[in-house]
Amino acid sequence: MLSFLTILFALTLIYLSITERFRSFSKLIAIQGFLLFGIAFLELTEVNTANLVFIVTETVVFKAIVVPMILYRIINRIRIYKVHSKALPGFYSLLFTIMGLFLSIVLANALMDKFIDTVYLTIALFTLFTGLLIIVTHKLLFSHMIGFLVIENAVFMFSLAAGKEMPMLINIGILLDIFASVLILGIFINKIGSQHRDLMADTLTSLKH
Amino acid sequence: MKFAGILLIIMAAAFFPGIILRVKSIAGGRKGPGIFQPLKDIRVLLMKGSVFSNTTSILFQIAPSIALASVAIAILLVPVANQDALFAFEGDFVFFAYLLALGKFFTIIAALDTGSAFEGMGANREALYSMLIEPAFFILLATFAMFTGYTSFSDIMTHFHITDNHYVMIFSILGFYVLVQIAMVENSRVPVDDPKTHLELTMIHEVIILDNSGFDKALIHIGTFLKFSTYGALISSYLVPAGWNIGAQVALFIGIQVFFASIIGYLESFRARNKMVKNSQYILTVSAIAIIAFVIVLILTNKL
Repeated sequence: MLSFLTILFALTLIYLSITERFRSFSKLIAIQGFLLFGIAFLELTEVNTANLVFIVTETVVFKAIVVPMILYRIINRIRIYKVHSKALPGFYSLLFTIMGLFLSIVLANALMDKFIDTVYLTIALFTLFTGLLIIVTHKLLFSHMIGFLVIENAVFMFSLAAGKEMPMLINIGILLDIFASVLILGIFINKIGSQHRDLMADTLTSLKH
Repeated sequence: MKFAGILLIIMAAAFFPGIILRVKSIAGGRKGPGIFQPLKDIRVLLMKGSVFSNTTSILFQIAPSIALASVAIAILLVPVANQDALFAFEGDFVFFAYLLALGKFFTIIAALDTGSAFEGMGANREALYSMLIEPAFFILLATFAMFTGYTSFSDIMTHFHITDNHYVMIFSILGFYVLVQIAMVENSRVPVDDPKTHLELTMIHEVIILDNSGFDKALIHIGTFLKFSTYGALISSYLVPAGWNIGAQVALFIGIQVFFASIIGYLESFRARNKMVKNSQYILTVSAIAIIAFVIVLILTNKL
């Protein structure tokens, strides 16, 4: 079951790299949240019950429900439903993602250690590359936000890879990050968004003038 | 039994397009043609002579025969109902892939031989999509080979299920999906191509055989039917465990071929074809999924 969830998680990353609709982005973030919930629930058998309850509750509530709901609200508010036409075409994005997967396999093997779970490390690196790729190849702030959330998921996977060490501490850190990122996006949409309707990352350079 | 397997593939090929047509008719709420209509069309075409354009050379005339011959030889390498194929040797799946590629190469070069701009465009698309789907096939087969430790179709299919590892199920699902997609792309069906399209600009496979007529066209269609049932045979050998008795194997072979044809019929009834610019991305996604299957086997064989 655990392996099935991990593979599904990897498949969502491939879909993330080619999808062009913001609603699909949000759905995939929600699906990743549920998958991480399942993985955490099945994997973290050694942590105490209070910690486990906190981690799985936080994962399912924030990653799978609250954040995707906020993303949906943002989409409805900004009324931009697709990635920018200048974003890297899906074909090339997918090519880079595949290269990222190979690189992750090579890196994970190079870092092979008895204290590190190589499967989780591979998926964590792959998630990290996908998140970075989304940020680098897209023009709209919303896509950057998605990339950021994907990287947060990668950090969670890293915590599982490193012998399930301190997942609670990492989760609290992630929670803070998510709060900060949603807050920043909220400021962009409510304050700066009135001046820059298309929410292009490039237009932020004009703010300094 | 080996010859019976080939007969089974040929019989499945004869009914395959008819089943697709029937499913599409039923799904569309039409009475539609009968299950034997494609065979009747082939018979009519076979009785006609071929007409060749003055601009074409000998290449154009021999291409349909080579295309059919390459598929016919490829069939001999495919195990049916988990029985050994007529010809089996180490690395035969590479030979299988390049036999099909040889047939496609001649079809493409014959299209270019006509000098038609439309056919050149179709040849370009056909070559691109074949090139993009090839990694998916090789990654999948290499994954099978790594998993079982064998490099021949017959050995791979026989030994695939002999393990109690739960990853096999996940790998089977991904493998089934990838094989079906490869079959759809290789046979130019929806969502990559639409055999029923009437506009040359939107055609892929249909446009490169526009100049073929009569007997030659029949050979091309027969080759397509055979390719479908060949992929159906591969799917059946891979899904059904080798240990089951031969009666069940044959029954499941027929069932899987009918199911496979029905899936294609339903997909073509309810799904629109992709935009042309999205096709490359779609096909590459199949390769990406094959790579995921490859990673699973790396985990499975403790290489990751």
